[in-house]
Order: sequence, then structure tokens, then C-alpha cells
Amino acid sequence: MLPADWSVLRQIKDKIDGIEKLALELKTLGDGVPVIERNVRSILGFTHVLKFGISDMFENEDAQGGPE
Amino acid sequence: MPYWNPYLETFPRERMVGIQLERFRQILAHAKSQSPFYRHRYADIDPRDIKTMEDVKRLPLIDKAALRKAQDDKEPFPFGDMLGVTPEEVTTFRQTSGTTGKPVYVPETVESWQWRVEVWCHILWMAGFRETDRVFVSFGYNVYVAFWEGHYAAEKVGCMVVPGGALDTRGRINKILEVKATGLLNTPTYGLHMAEEAEKMGLDPRDMGIQRMLCAGEPLPQATRRKLEDTWAAEVYDHIGGTEPCAWAAMCGQRNGLHIMEPFFLVEILDMETLSRDVEEGEIGVAVVTPLGRRSFPLVRFDTKDLVRKGRPGCTCGRTSMMIDEVVGRTDDLRKIRGVLFTPVSVEEVVRAEFPEIAEYEIVVSRDGIMDRITLKVEPKEEMGEVVMKDMVARLALRVKIKTNLTFIVEPVAPGGLPRYSLKAKRFRDLRDQGGGD
Repeated sequence: MLPADWSVLRQIKDKIDGIEKLALELKTLGDGVPVIERNVRSILGFTHVLKFGISDMFENEDAQGGPE
Repeated sequence: MPYWNPYLETFPRERMVGIQLERFRQILAHAKSQSPFYRHRYADIDPRDIKTMEDVKRLPLIDKAALRKAQDDKEPFPFGDMLGVTPEEVTTFRQTSGTTGKPVYVPETVESWQWRVEVWCHILWMAGFRETDRVFVSFGYNVYVAFWEGHYAAEKVGCMVVPGGALDTRGRINKILEVKATGLLNTPTYGLHMAEEAEKMGLDPRDMGIQRMLCAGEPLPQATRRKLEDTWAAEVYDHIGGTEPCAWAAMCGQRNGLHIMEPFFLVEILDMETLSRDVEEGEIGVAVVTPLGRRSFPLVRFDTKDLVRKGRPGCTCGRTSMMIDEVVGRTDDLRKIRGVLFTPVSVEEVVRAEFPEIAEYEIVVSRDGIMDRITLKVEPKEEMGEVVMKDMVARLALRVKIKTNLTFIVEPVAPGGLPRYSLKAKRFRDLRDQGGGD
């Protein structure tokens, strides 16, 4: 882990969550419209990867009180 | 930046297992809720009760045979009880080669495919692939997973990807020269074959501009890896994986062992005899793999049948993940011959390290009366005189005898007499159950 980047990591995690939230809102708004539904599906595929690779690690560390 | 994901790759080792267990519980809960196979298999297990690695070890292993059975003639076709999402979410699939039985069909969604590609981004980045690379992908694009993830991961890394399907070997060599490729993705066997063919075309592979090569599809003993490095004047990297679990360990720039891709996977290395005990560092064991982020085809404690030597955590590259020292072979290929445990990789190590004059080889085990007979067919790079050939055969027979404790009949074959392979090579044939004779 990179302790110096802790506050940046928190911001990154928040942005990833924000992207996912916006994508889901967009999906709701565009319900039944293929161009929106399918592109949102791709966006959510990428956010899954970002959450897996970054957000989950952050959450685990944060639950432990941050980096050593 | 030396790391694709510095947060993850340098994560403190002591806290890694906590994340893996949390993800293990999540994937197990998902599997139980979505897949009839797991619902039935783990009927009495509550994922919330999995709190330690000892708890994990209480779950039964699954293997390819179990996957086949769960798919065979079951709906939704062709994934059956293994499907972890709705059929409408599946956007592609790959299948196993079916060499040991009916193929296993592996469904992918947009999400699960991105997850696989992400694992490969780590692998390519570790091997030094960057946006300045032109990567030639030497395989026939089809239903086998092979280098598909490598293709998409190289695009995501930012490389210029050159799809090398639907070309013969000379066509591929010409294309490599035409686009000035700097990187290759291929099987070790095909890497050697392309070099051999380039030499026949009057080219020196060392001058073709290839800087790095990532191999897949076959065990890559150090001797073969070094031979490829010498032949191409390139850095050659290994990784290990499979169609069902995805790639789960790979080499970094140190090229000294393979990093397990934690926490994408939970990897256990268990003793060969009972598949229940973690082996010690330096010991050979069977890799049991649980991919922790792929919901389309949940795999829980999958017996890969890959034999690996367990390493230690951490590396001078700064990554904290657990290492494996080497890939030794597959339990499928382990044979008892005249009472001696034999793996074909041991012959490959001798041939590639000590006999540069040999272009190809094949091992055939047959029955001669009640005795096992093991023949090593060898094809020289070029015609040899009788005396030179006789000397080579005698030296080789001695070296493989010392290495394996088995006596081989070494049988020379004319140049071009043995098959070449673009995907998995089949250099080992055991004919004993088929009546013996070759």
C-alpha cells in the first residue's frame, strides 16, 4: 500500500462509487433503450474491475483504521 | 510506474488473507444463490461460517469431471447447472479443448470478461508490455481461450495489437517484420517453431526486433524459457492458468518464479497424495484455485491438476503476493513407468538445455510383453552424419537416464518428421492402455 496516497485513494474510491451510481441512474432513465442499456452495461463492467482492484482494498484498510 | 495497480500489488501481506476470505464468502454466497450445482453441493454450508482458511478447506474440491457432469444435457444449454447469471447476460463463451473428455463450456458476461482482461493487464504490465509496444498475437482465434484475454488486455494497456490469426507460420513471420512487432504472445512450442521457420527463410530471429514474449498454454521449464530468450534475443515470460479459472500466476521482470494474482484468486497448494494439506515452501503440490470476482461461472476450490513448487511471499520487485517457484507439470501427465514416477517436463528440460541440435521430440510409452517401453523420438535441426548422430543418441540416452531414472530407446527421426503445433503440443503419448505397440 502507498500511505502517502491515502487521501487520494479515498477520493478515487468515492469517484468510482459515483461513476457506478451515475451509470445505474442512467440505466434507469434509459430503460428499454438499447444504446443506453448496453453502454451502461460496459461502464458497469469497468466499475466492477475498479471496485475489485481499488475500492475493496481501500474499504478493508479503512475498516482497519487506515494504512500503517 | 512499475505496477499496474500499486495499491493492490503492494498490499500488506498479513492483511491479504482477510480480503480473500471476505471475497470467498461473497462468491460462495453468489454461487449458492445462482447455481443449482452449488446449491446442492453446499446445501449444509452457510458462507458466513467461513472465517478461516481451515474453514475453506472443509469444502469439497471440484474438478473438470464435476463441471462436465453439471453441464451434461442440462439446461440452460450448454452451461447447465454451472451458470451463475441469467442466460441473457452471457455475451460470449470459451471452451476447454476436450482432450480428456467432453469440453467444458465457460460462459462470460461483459463484467466477467472485463475481470479476466484486468487480470491479464496485470500480467502484461509485469512483463513490461507498454503502449510503445506492437504486439503480435500468434494464434488461431477460435473457441479456445488461449490469447483472447491477452489480445484485449494488450489493447487496454495501450499496445498496438496485431491479430495473427488465419496466417501460416511464414505469413506470420512476414507480418511481424512488416509491422515491426516488438512483442509476441505464443505457446513456447510455437515460439521455437517460428524461430526455426524464420531461419529457413534466411532470417535470424535475434534480429527481428522482438523485445519480449509472453508464453501460455504449456509448461515452460527454465531450460526452454532460456532457449527462447537466446533464440529471439528477447525477454521471455511465463504464466499459468486455464480456461475455467483464468490465468492465476505470472512472472515479473525478475523472471524468477511466478506471482500469484492475489487477491483476484485464492490459491491453495496442496499435497498430491491427499489434497488436504498445504505443502511447505519448496515442496511440489497441486494448485487449487478459487477465482474471487467472476460471477458468470463461479468456481469454488477448483482442482486445476497443475503441479507447482511453492515459493515464498514477496519479491525484490516490491510486490507482496505469494510466489510459486516453478510450474512442474500436470497430474494428468504424471505416469508410473516401471514403478518410477515420470513427468514429461523432465525430458524437455534435458533436451532444451543440452541438445540445441534437436529441433523437436516426442515421448511414446508402450508395452513390450509385460514390460513398459519408453521411446524418445528426436528430430535433428538438420541432417547429421552417422557418427555424430550415434554420439548424440548415446549422450541423450545417458542424460535422460540420469534425469529420470528410466531407460529410454532414443530413436532419430528425419528433419521435418515430427509434427509442429501452434497451440498445445502433444509430445507425450502413453499407449499402454491401447494395447501397447506404437
